[in-house]
Amino acid sequence: MRDFLQILLVGIGDGAVYAMLGLGLVVIYRSTGLLNFAQGEMAMFSTFIVWTMWSIGLPMWLAILAGMAGGFGVGALVHQVAVRPVGDPHEKPLAVVIVTIGLFLGVNGAAQLIWGTLDRSLPPLFGRGQVTVFGVAVAWQKIGAVIALSVMVLLFYLLFQHTKLGLAMRAVASNSESASLVGIPVPRLLMLGWGLAAAVGTVAGVFIAPNLGLGTNLMQLTLIFGFAAITLGGFDSLVGAVVGGFVVGALSSVMPRYITIFEKMPLAPAFILILAVLLFRPEGLFGKKQVTRV
Amino acid sequence: MSSASVLGQQARRTPRAWVLKVVPWAVVFVVLAIVPFEFPSFRVEQFCFWMTLAIAACGLNLLTGYNGQISVGHGALFGIGAYTTGILITEFSVPLFAASVAAAVVCFFFGLLIGLPALRIKGLYLALVTLAVATLFPLILEQFSSITGGSGGLQITSPQTYRGELRERPIRLESPFAGLANDQWKYFLFLGVTVVVFVLSRNLIKSRVGRALVAVRDNEVAAESSGIPISRVKILTFGLSAAIAGIGGSLFALNQGQLYPSSFTIVLSIYILVAVVVGGAASIVGPAIGAIFYGLFSDVIIQQLPDRIQPARAVILGVLLILLMLLAPGGVVGGFRSLQAKWVAQKNFRRARS
Repeated sequence: MRDFLQILLVGIGDGAVYAMLGLGLVVIYRSTGLLNFAQGEMAMFSTFIVWTMWSIGLPMWLAILAGMAGGFGVGALVHQVAVRPVGDPHEKPLAVVIVTIGLFLGVNGAAQLIWGTLDRSLPPLFGRGQVTVFGVAVAWQKIGAVIALSVMVLLFYLLFQHTKLGLAMRAVASNSESASLVGIPVPRLLMLGWGLAAAVGTVAGVFIAPNLGLGTNLMQLTLIFGFAAITLGGFDSLVGAVVGGFVVGALSSVMPRYITIFEKMPLAPAFILILAVLLFRPEGLFGKKQVTRV
Repeated sequence: MSSASVLGQQARRTPRAWVLKVVPWAVVFVVLAIVPFEFPSFRVEQFCFWMTLAIAACGLNLLTGYNGQISVGHGALFGIGAYTTGILITEFSVPLFAASVAAAVVCFFFGLLIGLPALRIKGLYLALVTLAVATLFPLILEQFSSITGGSGGLQITSPQTYRGELRERPIRLESPFAGLANDQWKYFLFLGVTVVVFVLSRNLIKSRVGRALVAVRDNEVAAESSGIPISRVKILTFGLSAAIAGIGGSLFALNQGQLYPSSFTIVLSIYILVAVVVGGAASIVGPAIGAIFYGLFSDVIIQQLPDRIQPARAVILGVLLILLMLLAPGGVVGGFRSLQAKWVAQKNFRRARS
């Protein structure tokens, strides 16, 4: 039992990171309607920015802020030069998929060019210590991830529900044409959405890098976990991303422990989850059902 | 009578059009026949790899280009083809040719398996599922390391007589002709398979079935009301596309002689997609042109750069993909076609004025 709790808590800590990545994916899906396959690579890139800032002697929190700002810039730029000109993702899915795949390759290659192919090490933000609760050891780093996620969710809630900017962003998400008719600068808000998503990804990267080692393939598995989270939660639901993140984290920590066939592939439960949800409940737990008017 | 066959008849009637059609192909075949004698052995081996990529791209093109189902996971099917071939040869001493056929059959069924959920999951979401398949695949290879060899790799060996005794030795494609070196023999063998795959795909696309593929891509409702069994067409296309990718993978296994999970990551799937898109989706020769482009670019041009800036390869390919989607979504073949159309229009315009 204690063993189970231990593994479950580790999973929930990881789940917080998947949820962070998922939040970014949801913000992009809601605003531009596409699945951003380059989200993980963008997060990896900005995590390298954090590492660079930290290694030239900046304090960690300042380095993270710099990384988020850098990520914001990359996200906004990517939207302006690559994503927006391609057009509507649901009319031309192939073109959009290929553009995000191109971004995936490009950002990954750029990171290798700048930082080389060797893994860097980023120290854990909350140290290597752990606390014992009911006989179960929990790393501060995991608790920190949950706290960071909570702060992020709170900020997102305040932004979307209590500011004029957030209202405008919601308007763009629900109907960009009408939004632009009432004078909302739609392209600028979409750009903002991409920037925000990339900035959030930075924090996910900062939490996952100490575990995996900061290399250019940092996010390739994590991205699929993030996608599993938002598939379960619903592609357009921020709450869904958080719930989905925790469920995916818990499942992919617990199942490989008890089911030997998953031992070396924690990704398998997440994959099965993606497939099952898309087949039987494509809108996920909290998502809006897609309805087409004939 | 469809417009294509009318054009075909016209082409047969005017000798000039006939020459324009036949001469380029003759040149291509002469070049392809000379190439293995003009380049050193390691280049010929690379050409063999390009051909395996071209075959896989041809399979993906049927699915994504003609049938409109997006797959970012063909690297996994390529891998299944390669590992099936390797395991059959090494563990069960199956002859090389039979192993390749078996690999295609196995991949066909895997394709059906993925095609089944693809009936409900479409567009971006299908891309997501196939991306997940591609990411999962190397982990599956590691999980079942008892048969795949895991990250230590799978050495493909077969029982061969060596100095009078029968032993497990690394496979080799021995040339039966004195005038051909082993790598040249392999080149022509692969070229034969590649040509057969492309010609059969062309015939399929020009047939009734091919028109059904395109109809389903362009408008499912309209296709269904014309009596096309949509589900069957989509699933079988997935199976066929997977089988072709599997043939590519099988040749890859024969070419390399050893297989590692790291060769079948998501990056491989992306490169197959690159070959399709650069050459031109929904055109027959597009994937071949794309594969040659990819090969020239990554095995020849990029190798000129110093090691430190090798990753520029990914940056350039990524930027190129994005630019292509923005400027010439039809790839090389699409761009050529629109130039040709412009030229014909100008000619007709001039003729009309005079």
